[in-house]
Amino acid sequence: MAAKGEKHSPLEQFEIVPISNIEIGSYNISFTNSSFAMLITVLLITMFLTLTVNTRSIIPSRLQLISELMYNFIAQLLTDTVGDNGKKYFPFVFTLFMFVLIGNMVGMIPYQFTFTSHIIVTFALASIVFIGVTILGFINHGIKFFTFFYIPGVPFYMHPLLIPIEVISYLSRPISLSVRLFANMLAGHTLLKVFAGFVVSMPFFTGVLPLTFIVALTGLEILIAFLQAYVFAILTCLYINDAYHLH
Amino acid sequence: MSYKNKNLEELKKKIDNVESRSLDSKLPKKEGGAGFGFKISTEIIAALIVGVGIGLIVDNYFNTKPIGLIIFFIFGALAGFLNVYRVMRRIEKQR
Repeated sequence: MAAKGEKHSPLEQFEIVPISNIEIGSYNISFTNSSFAMLITVLLITMFLTLTVNTRSIIPSRLQLISELMYNFIAQLLTDTVGDNGKKYFPFVFTLFMFVLIGNMVGMIPYQFTFTSHIIVTFALASIVFIGVTILGFINHGIKFFTFFYIPGVPFYMHPLLIPIEVISYLSRPISLSVRLFANMLAGHTLLKVFAGFVVSMPFFTGVLPLTFIVALTGLEILIAFLQAYVFAILTCLYINDAYHLH
Repeated sequence: MSYKNKNLEELKKKIDNVESRSLDSKLPKKEGGAGFGFKISTEIIAALIVGVGIGLIVDNYFNTKPIGLIIFFIFGALAGFLNVYRVMRRIEKQR
């Protein structure tokens, strides 16, 4: 790395570096630093949740309380938005929420890769939600699911205009869902690195100023990490709700 | 006896106090202007991406070079406004 010289781009942190090269046929399925971050995330979630709830004490310890708090948070979210039907989808929404949340948090550790800052990861997550919700809509309503795009109480000559708009609006869901998470993480981490660059390059002791700013920004970034996971979860809930109640 | 009850009442008051406070601040409502603008802009951009994408596919398929793109770009823009309207309505409802 030192031989490469002094060029440090703020975007260098998003580079995917293969840890071990694996190729099957013409497909490159290397184990990269992104996969490593995901593996750590999954291991962290599994270990934390199993170990803290393992004791099953009636008076919870602090760590058990955190687990139960997260559980209640998502359970409450589902009952608030979807209602009684939502209970079935708790495992799915909880997994999504925890994966995005802990993934963002793991990314906040210095030198650690943030996998949610890649559009392909967030888009894959959003596609799972989108395709799943669409299938759910067809299961619940059959062919009548298409009336989702039909707005009642509108003059008939407006429908040729409104139905394409509704369809495009529906298709834009996974994109807005994924772009929001991706852009927030990308922008936040780039901003952190840009200000970190100022610390070194500013003369005398003025570098302290951006340093203090970074500390504040890190706090904000942690808030955003939580907020984006929350937004991802609540939008998933809203989409599941739409699959049950057309309009 | 009365001493005990008083203590319990105080405890209940404290618990109520904490609960009402935690309910108020449970949801991260405080959102800066940047976050709000971000939300709105992603909605418009996402709809435009889908509209332009469909337009390009239609043009490619039917060989109608600019017409499909123009039409679906407009549809995409309108869908973007519809998305923003829905987001705003949801935010208003939460208040």
